[in-house]
Amino acid sequence: MPHGPHRLRAVVVDDESLARKALRRELESDPAIEVVADCADGFAAVRAASEMKPDLMLLDIQMPRLDGFEVLEMIDPAIAVVFVTAHDEHAVRAFEVNAVDYLLKPVDPERLREAVGRARQRLGRGERMPVAALAAAVRPPGVPLARVLVRDGPRVHVITTDALDYIEAQDDYIAVHSVGKSYLKQQPIAAIEATLDPARFIRIHRSYILNLDRLSRIELYAKDSRIAILHDGTRLPLSRAGHARLKELL
Amino acid sequence: MRSVHLLFAAIGLLLASLVASLLSLRGGAPWGEAVLLGLPLGLVYAAICIAARYPCRAAPLARTGVARVASTHAAASLLSAGSWLLIGGALSRALQALPGFDGAAARFADETPTFLVVGVLVYLLAVAVHYLVLALETAREAEVRGVQARVLAREAELRALRAQVDPHFLFNSLNSISALTSEDPAAARRMCLLLAGFLRRSLALGARERITLGEELALVADYLAIEKVRFGARVEVRQEIDEASLSCAVPPLLMQPLVENAVRHGVAHLLEGGTIGITTRREGNRIAVVIENPRDPERPTSRGEGVGLANVRDRLRSLYGDEGRTSIRANGASFRVEITLPAVVLTVPSPVPPPAHGESAHAARAS
Repeated sequence: MPHGPHRLRAVVVDDESLARKALRRELESDPAIEVVADCADGFAAVRAASEMKPDLMLLDIQMPRLDGFEVLEMIDPAIAVVFVTAHDEHAVRAFEVNAVDYLLKPVDPERLREAVGRARQRLGRGERMPVAALAAAVRPPGVPLARVLVRDGPRVHVITTDALDYIEAQDDYIAVHSVGKSYLKQQPIAAIEATLDPARFIRIHRSYILNLDRLSRIELYAKDSRIAILHDGTRLPLSRAGHARLKELL
Repeated sequence: MRSVHLLFAAIGLLLASLVASLLSLRGGAPWGEAVLLGLPLGLVYAAICIAARYPCRAAPLARTGVARVASTHAAASLLSAGSWLLIGGALSRALQALPGFDGAAARFADETPTFLVVGVLVYLLAVAVHYLVLALETAREAEVRGVQARVLAREAELRALRAQVDPHFLFNSLNSISALTSEDPAAARRMCLLLAGFLRRSLALGARERITLGEELALVADYLAIEKVRFGARVEVRQEIDEASLSCAVPPLLMQPLVENAVRHGVAHLLEGGTIGITTRREGNRIAVVIENPRDPERPTSRGEGVGLANVRDRLRSLYGDEGRTSIRANGASFRVEITLPAVVLTVPSPVPPPAHGESAHAARAS
């Protein structure tokens, strides 16, 4: 992404309009910054990130629909992100997910300028956020994933784990199958397996994770080779290790 | 319990030597016969006296009339001493059947009136011991219960006070003020006054043991006025207040944390916001307070959401026992908490009707 003389393109994300206005005003007092969008929720932020291709995003954490950490997981890792929050316990996680910086509310204009400076340096070096590590760090420790987010261009699909049938590995991607549809997401299958509830989601094969509720029966396919048949008739291969894991749970 | 049994064993042995002495010295029984009769009779009576605990427990001194206590133990003592003598008679006759114990039954029968008196007196002594032990046990239990109740109440109060003002609420409010200073200085000043008013009121009310529901509603109105500045049209309020409930006593800051939950975990997560419903009712000798809010059905519930609610529940339980009830009705898109507690009218200070902030509140109160 080219930098240098051109103005920094920034997006402000906060569900409170007063907070958005104040940040916009503060940013725009610097002629080298252009605020290209302000967004009131996480979905709008992901859309703006995709359509406006900003350099910098000032991102609130507690928001309707998608929170700040979830937004971070969905957007281009080249965007420099500065978290803005009233909760300083989020600060630790903000650093874990390698955000450029975080600002506490009420925002000190001096701190905001410093954060923008750091973002410029980072953009100059062309640093990107480590997305895979992000996905794992975003989740509060010990709590299994309640929903899977999949970005589809400017849109975000939210698939609750209850509606998730099975996950299939496809090269660097996973295909998340839910009520007859499938969604592609760039994530290794082992990474998503680690975040799902192990009592409900079983790795039945090198390339498949199954929601246990969807299993109808297991059939012998050939000698020593089995397949899992789901309630909707889908047939998935079952490895020997996968069969052992299933038997242990059933 | 064990020391009481040891005491009765000692009484039994003393009684045994008394019986043996009486038989031998007054009745002229040989020492062997006196000991063979006295020892089992003493121990048997000790066991009977231990059992005297049950009539004592059935007729507790504190809750039973004197006549009933006297008649209960008179009957029980005669019955016990009588049975004891019957056993003694049987034992002496059995002994007489053995060689060398001629006349044992007659010698025992001669002393029967004395034994009856001794039996009744020892039984009454046992009754006195049991009442003493029961009184000590009751006192100790009451003390333990009292300490437990105090610890629970203290914990609940501490948690409630700690949760009194959520620091994030303060930071967010300060952020709104900071944003307004350049945007709309007059509004910034109003917001400062609202925040100062809320803090002052919550400190003043939090220091008291009981406040009126009217005062609590005024605090809630202060709180909501601040959140309306922050969230704008996203926070709407609908109040249905029963005038008869306003003068009833409630613990301070009972509703405010629940209304705060309704904002933080409810409407704040809705893009379009929503309406928080606050209803109070007086139903005879009880009051009911209902707080309901819409919520995002797709949002996974975060940890910590139940903490405020658990605090309220614990506090009610420690203050009102079974009389303070909390019921929750939650489905995907809405959340409702209902609290009911005994209606006790608080006379001083006079109830303050809650100031209604926002048009929707006026509309509901007019209807």
